[in-house]
Amino acid sequence: MKEKLEYTPFFGCMITTKYPQFEAAVRKTLPLIGVELTDLDGFSCCPDPIYFKAFDKEEWITLAARNLCVAEEAGLDIVTCCSGCTATLNEANHLLHESDEILERVNKRLKKVGKEFKGKVKVRHIVTVLRDDVGYDRLAESVVKPLEGLRVAIHYGCHLLKPSHIMQVDDPDRPTILEDLMKQIGVEPVEHEEKILCCGKACMDEHIPLEMTRDVLKSIEDLKVDCMGLICPTCFDEYDLGQLMLNRKFKTNFSLPVIYYFQLLGLAQGQDPKEMGFHRHKIKTKPVLEKLQLEKVP
Amino acid sequence: MTTLDFEFKKKLDKIIGGELHSYCFQCGACVGDCPTARYSERFNPRLIMLMCIMGRHEELLKQDSVIWECTNCYNCMERCPQDVKPAEVIVALKNLSGQQGNQPQKLGDMVKAVEKTGMTGQATKAINKIREDLGLGPVKPAPTQEILKLLE
Repeated sequence: MKEKLEYTPFFGCMITTKYPQFEAAVRKTLPLIGVELTDLDGFSCCPDPIYFKAFDKEEWITLAARNLCVAEEAGLDIVTCCSGCTATLNEANHLLHESDEILERVNKRLKKVGKEFKGKVKVRHIVTVLRDDVGYDRLAESVVKPLEGLRVAIHYGCHLLKPSHIMQVDDPDRPTILEDLMKQIGVEPVEHEEKILCCGKACMDEHIPLEMTRDVLKSIEDLKVDCMGLICPTCFDEYDLGQLMLNRKFKTNFSLPVIYYFQLLGLAQGQDPKEMGFHRHKIKTKPVLEKLQLEKVP
Repeated sequence: MTTLDFEFKKKLDKIIGGELHSYCFQCGACVGDCPTARYSERFNPRLIMLMCIMGRHEELLKQDSVIWECTNCYNCMERCPQDVKPAEVIVALKNLSGQQGNQPQKLGDMVKAVEKTGMTGQATKAINKIREDLGLGPVKPAPTQEILKLLE
């Protein structure tokens, strides 16, 4: 184990302004496993790997490079909690290392704001920090109330794993990292047929993303799980809020709670569900808390 | 008879990743694992690459072009034996489509938000109150002046 686990957190826009309960869960669980987060001033939107990248790829790399420079100047590696931010910052970092031509063009732009990308910063999705730096043993040691009996359908989302040559997190076809993390906190991970299907959020069509969401939920339906467990706020958006939209459109009756990994970790560490923002979900999380016999259900 | 439009190819080649379409040998490995192809009858990454090679820019770049159905999942990049990175070629096509003003409204709104505030989501009073209740500080402002300078 490394002596001091210090990173600068990059929470991005979606978590900070839409799902701050995830930020709260991360900030409250990490100190108990020896991870220190040092906040820096000066980050902007990563910018997002769907819309902004589709608008102008070179400007997208430039703004991402500026964010990387902020961390680089402070001498800290970045830890990301959103798969979108992970994608943007890692891909930009990769392209800047891979191509001198891109590096030169981007640095020419960055010069206007007194910055230069030197390429010394690493971008880590937080689950890899748990696996590779903290280690499963230390993670499990922080658990005071294992979530025994909780059956969770894991959903990976795309940008944690792919492009695999850039992300280098896990096998993109048969990943196990989330299952392994779940097991450390007493959860029983449950496989479903569509566990690596894209949530569809980036598809700019009215129907396709909803159909994908429906098929994912259908593949979970008969497995008697208590909730869905994931690590991506975009997938969360699609499955939490998305379930309501799906029910309206297809007259279905889905009501599967969707939980971010660090919220579950918080419960296993004995933290208050309210502190983890369990009351902020569109699909009520009460059945999960009841199953775990956490009395104070918000 | 089909006429190849090489001018379009040159334009596409100038965008990072756009040039990779030239390596496509039309094997179709990208199609089988494409989630959009599973749900959309008109979406086929192999055909999109073929249309690039043939320079069919009008169809590719028009409003409501099929390119906007891509979910950016990168499965095609995992499968491609030629390292074409079809998803990145599609991003390059989106850039060109936007240059003609044919991008979806939602995209323009998001980009404007980043230009104005440096963020895609906005730190309203309501959200800062929710953050406070969760024990979090207010959302940190992004350096908008620097962003604007970089986007000039």
